[in-house]
Amino acid sequence: MNILTIALRNARKKWVRTLLLLLVFTLGVVSIVSLNFVSRVVGEGLEKKLVSFGANILVSPKSEKLTVSYGGFALGDMLFDVTYLDEKDTIARVDAIELRKNISVIAPKLVVMDRVQGTAVAIVGVRFAQEKLLKGYWMVEQGAIPGEEPAPMSAKPKGSGMHAPSAPAPAAASPTGLPQAAMAPLGVPLDTYKGNGVLVGSAAAAKLNLKLGSEIPLGNTHMVVTGILAPTGSEDDNVLLADLTFVQNAVGRPGKANFVEVAALCSGCPIEDIVHQLATALPGVEIKTLRNIVEQRMYSVHFVKQLILSVSLVILLTGCSMVGISMLSAVNERKKEIGILRSLGFSRRAVFSIFCAEAASIGLLAGLAGYVTGYAVSFRILAVLDMAEGAVLSFEPLHLAATVLILALLTSLASLVPAWKAAAIEPSEALVTL
Amino acid sequence: MNATETTRPAAFAAPMAGTPLLEAVDVTKSFTQDGTPTQALKGVSLSVAPGEFVSIVGRSGSGKSTFLSVLSTLLRPDSGQLTYNGQDLTRATEAEVNALRHGDFAVIFQFHYLLPYLTALENTLLPFMRGLRPVSGAQRRRALECLERVGLADKGHRLPGQLSGGEQQRVAIARALVKDARVLFADEPTGSLDSATGATVMELLSQIHKDGLSVVMVTHNEQYASLSDRVVRMTDGLMA
Repeated sequence: MNILTIALRNARKKWVRTLLLLLVFTLGVVSIVSLNFVSRVVGEGLEKKLVSFGANILVSPKSEKLTVSYGGFALGDMLFDVTYLDEKDTIARVDAIELRKNISVIAPKLVVMDRVQGTAVAIVGVRFAQEKLLKGYWMVEQGAIPGEEPAPMSAKPKGSGMHAPSAPAPAAASPTGLPQAAMAPLGVPLDTYKGNGVLVGSAAAAKLNLKLGSEIPLGNTHMVVTGILAPTGSEDDNVLLADLTFVQNAVGRPGKANFVEVAALCSGCPIEDIVHQLATALPGVEIKTLRNIVEQRMYSVHFVKQLILSVSLVILLTGCSMVGISMLSAVNERKKEIGILRSLGFSRRAVFSIFCAEAASIGLLAGLAGYVTGYAVSFRILAVLDMAEGAVLSFEPLHLAATVLILALLTSLASLVPAWKAAAIEPSEALVTL
Repeated sequence: MNATETTRPAAFAAPMAGTPLLEAVDVTKSFTQDGTPTQALKGVSLSVAPGEFVSIVGRSGSGKSTFLSVLSTLLRPDSGQLTYNGQDLTRATEAEVNALRHGDFAVIFQFHYLLPYLTALENTLLPFMRGLRPVSGAQRRRALECLERVGLADKGHRLPGQLSGGEQQRVAIARALVKDARVLFADEPTGSLDSATGATVMELLSQIHKDGLSVVMVTHNEQYASLSDRVVRMTDGLMA
């Protein structure tokens, strides 16, 4: 038995009021905790989903560009002094920035123009492992991505006319008569793949009449079609995608890249910070953010967070006001009790502590019950709305402790004025009949 | 070791021989009630010797309860001097006054003012529940002794609502006794009780006084007042 007994016994005696207060405050905490959990998980899910739509930062060499038009007729852009990035150096520098953990994909590219069956087409050298991460929307209609095993037949669209990529046309049958390159080996891990396989965009395949196993000359060598993409609605439909090392060697630009696409996860950091760090790490290189995607991502995440913050503040303010008002009425009700305590030698500080402890106990209990319930409710909300998008809800004991402590502190703060008022009561004021 | 000795301030440690234990000299106190200033005490003086039982009697509105509140430090006088054991209480700090209320002074009221959510035993132990330090075994034993003395040894676990008016007043007396106070102030202690219960309470106060405690009691009842060593009368804020 000590001073806390007085606070706790009173709370127990007035159990209806205490329960009501506890219920309201717990509901508030449940709302805040569950909204926070849901927003965090949805935010992470949103990031993952958005990242699957592609890169959001473009790293390219600085170049002078002139848009030529005359008499209303556009002649296109003229590039002076075309420069290339050193692939290894650029990746190493991107890899070393402080916010590296926020970068999910680094995808270098070398674009070359060539003619295939008399038609100009862009051949893009890529690292397929990175490209696949960057373009989660890719679906291979026929064959497989170079270096990968093809999917089972049943998974392929009917009438695709697919050639078995595991048995591509032999290099010796090349109609070009050019020196033969090694055939595209399938089944090699993507990050080590250095073969001559090529993935063809759907529109390019139709226009150039390319099939699985078709050979395409490039420089002194040739490429072999191992896969044809389903329509993506993007630029990938019109290009041929080959291994970067292969393309670099074929066109005599080993280790070079035109640009590097970077996908940054930005739920926990402003994209501007990453861009700033990249600019510092890569002087003389142009860093562009693909604004639409970035802004959309940030807007979505920020909007949800702002909404949660506003709702949380309103709930907390309401809860705190209720605690404050309830305590204030309790002080008026318990004036004689306070008088008796003061007449027994309780200091103002002791009386102040009794009221603060009573409010803090409500905060502690509401925090504990609210956090646990909020956690359970979050599961239910995410299950009903199916919004997790692969993100995981995790129980964190430290967050629980922090929530409980913060709520105890908040309820104590909410009861400061009533507690101060109680401490100011003189015994004569409460007990003496004049 | 006595259960309350540790909390008694050094300044009030022991009454000095030959000096009054408690002395009020020319005390005044005025209030404003409904916008009208009222002078409740117009220069009242009283001296209480160690172990003395003094009754203050007078009609309603004579200022006797106000005077008792001033004597027991529940009310500060506007002017005059109040000394306890030679120490000027009108100049005492709040901490000193709190220490005195906690240690040497005990007050019982017409309405017992027990905390309704604490048992009789817990109400008796209330003076020891001022801080985070838990009530000790010695303090608990002392409280049980006090309850036994007021005849409520078997009712310590009961809440005030489960006790009669007389029993509640006896719990209030036990609460006053538990801390080994030197002066007991009683403001109409039988005012809310029937005559039989009132007589029991008065008998208890007499016994407490005989044990050496100084008692200052305010009462309307001349018969009860006659149990004290000395009776002083107040009329219109003055000693008669």
